[in-house]
Amino acid sequence: MQISIIKPGLLSTIQDLGRYEYLAQAVPVSGAMDTLAARIANKAVGNEDDKAVIELTYADVKLKADTDILIAYSGDGAILKVENQIIPTDRPVFIPAKTVLNFVHNPTGSRTYLSVSGGWDVPLVLGSRSTFLTAGFGGFWGRQIRQGDILNSSDQLNLDSATILERLKSKTINYPNWSIARPLFLSADKKTIRIVPAQEFTWFDGRSIVNFLSEPYTLSAQSNRMGYRLDGFKINRVIKTELLSTAITPGTIQVTGNGSLILLMADCQTTGGYPRIAQVAAVDLPLCAQLKPGDKIYFKEISRHEAEMLYLDRERQLQKLPVAIKSKIYNTF
Amino acid sequence: MQSQPAVQPNFDIYFLSEQAVTVAFGPEISEARLQQITAFDRLISQNPFPGFRCSVPAYHTISVFYDPLKVSKSDFPGVDSFAKVSWYLQKLKLEPENIVVKEASTITIPVCYGNGFGPDLEELAKSHQLSMEAIIHLHSAAVYKVYMIGFVPGFAYLGGMNEVLDTPRKAVPRQKIPAGSVGIAGKQTGIYPMETPGGWQIIGRTPLQLFAADRPQPALLKAGDNVVFKPVSVNEFKLISY
Repeated sequence: MQISIIKPGLLSTIQDLGRYEYLAQAVPVSGAMDTLAARIANKAVGNEDDKAVIELTYADVKLKADTDILIAYSGDGAILKVENQIIPTDRPVFIPAKTVLNFVHNPTGSRTYLSVSGGWDVPLVLGSRSTFLTAGFGGFWGRQIRQGDILNSSDQLNLDSATILERLKSKTINYPNWSIARPLFLSADKKTIRIVPAQEFTWFDGRSIVNFLSEPYTLSAQSNRMGYRLDGFKINRVIKTELLSTAITPGTIQVTGNGSLILLMADCQTTGGYPRIAQVAAVDLPLCAQLKPGDKIYFKEISRHEAEMLYLDRERQLQKLPVAIKSKIYNTF
Repeated sequence: MQSQPAVQPNFDIYFLSEQAVTVAFGPEISEARLQQITAFDRLISQNPFPGFRCSVPAYHTISVFYDPLKVSKSDFPGVDSFAKVSWYLQKLKLEPENIVVKEASTITIPVCYGNGFGPDLEELAKSHQLSMEAIIHLHSAAVYKVYMIGFVPGFAYLGGMNEVLDTPRKAVPRQKIPAGSVGIAGKQTGIYPMETPGGWQIIGRTPLQLFAADRPQPALLKAGDNVVFKPVSVNEFKLISY
């Protein structure tokens, strides 16, 4: 299956679930910012979770199916339209050759994931297909996708994917009436981000902590895949000891020298020396991935035990999905 | 190679994320601490637990990454993965088994000082009221220790620079510093593995690739290594480059 890029949009890159093996050599995790949407896009076409997807940033993306393709898309950055028909999210969609796909504005969020049955075919670099732009490796030649690029899917379809394709294949666009209910995997309150106090939480004064946990913080325009700058009440330090550089990870919230907050995201450095006030609960990182500059969020404290239980619970729910999808494709469709 | 009993000093363990804990020894930058970190890091990777992903050593910490789904299924005592992994790491600390301590490798890095590769060498020499040759001598006479890898892929935090060379960063950072540039910032010296913006005083450049994604060990240096800079001429630099 093959597509060509007519319009690449602001930033389109190939991502998977990230690169963990080389953290000690300062190679960042990278991978999809919204791993939940990326995984759901994969599951919808019968793929394994770690297949390569295209991460689109906002809309204004136009692609052409050069061959028949089986795709799915998930996320809140764009809505897929073919001529005047809106294609629904979170389900497999058969697209006949020569169809032009338009990703148009979705005011809800910022990132959208496009999967293809078998996954987008790019080489594994250091154990992952994710693009790391700063160092220029991984993904599609280590760079963002441009106009004129041609992307192919891997020919290796698993049985589920091949079955979905066979069932949906037709002369026109075709998709089933079921979809994966992505909102059920997310907290209903999208503006409240749950956090666990980080190691240097007690380095800040009481007033700052109260502000941090009750006042809104606004995503600044100085935000990218490495991290978000959050505007709001400044955080003052009581303990002024210099912190020796140590490991940091996506979801870590650092406090810079002038008291501003930085929320680290997928491409963040592996080590850092700013004191850390909080760690965003892993289950709420997909919500952060969908934030746009100007969006306001609140932080709510939970315990590290609660955070882990929420994570395990969501993983167990996600593990049940392939069974549900199988019953749809092999029975009712 | 020599054999040593695995005696580990006390450490704290704290939550980094649902998928990682950090083992923290006393906060100091010292060769003794580096040896403890390197030894414990090796102990962990030689004795991985179910769900272990990787470990990231830093000046006084080792962060241990894992898959909580796998850890939660283990029969280690503890109410959650954090408790289970903490229990395991504390137990590992007390293991009486001998671990083999490899002697640190010494890596020689050819550097062409000045000559268009080190735009700040002349200015830096003037600010210290020394000749450029004296700066080159001071910088290349020392044996440096790699304390940790961080910042960008393959960047080594080096310790052991002669205090005379202590120089503040440039007032205005450069937009582009070529890969391989060797610089000084305060008490630190280091090599830029890839082209990035930066405020270090650049005194030379190495033709070696500090990081290459297509090598089995992509980063040239690792924590615990010794590093020596060897001055080379422009011609030697070019010969090594090709």
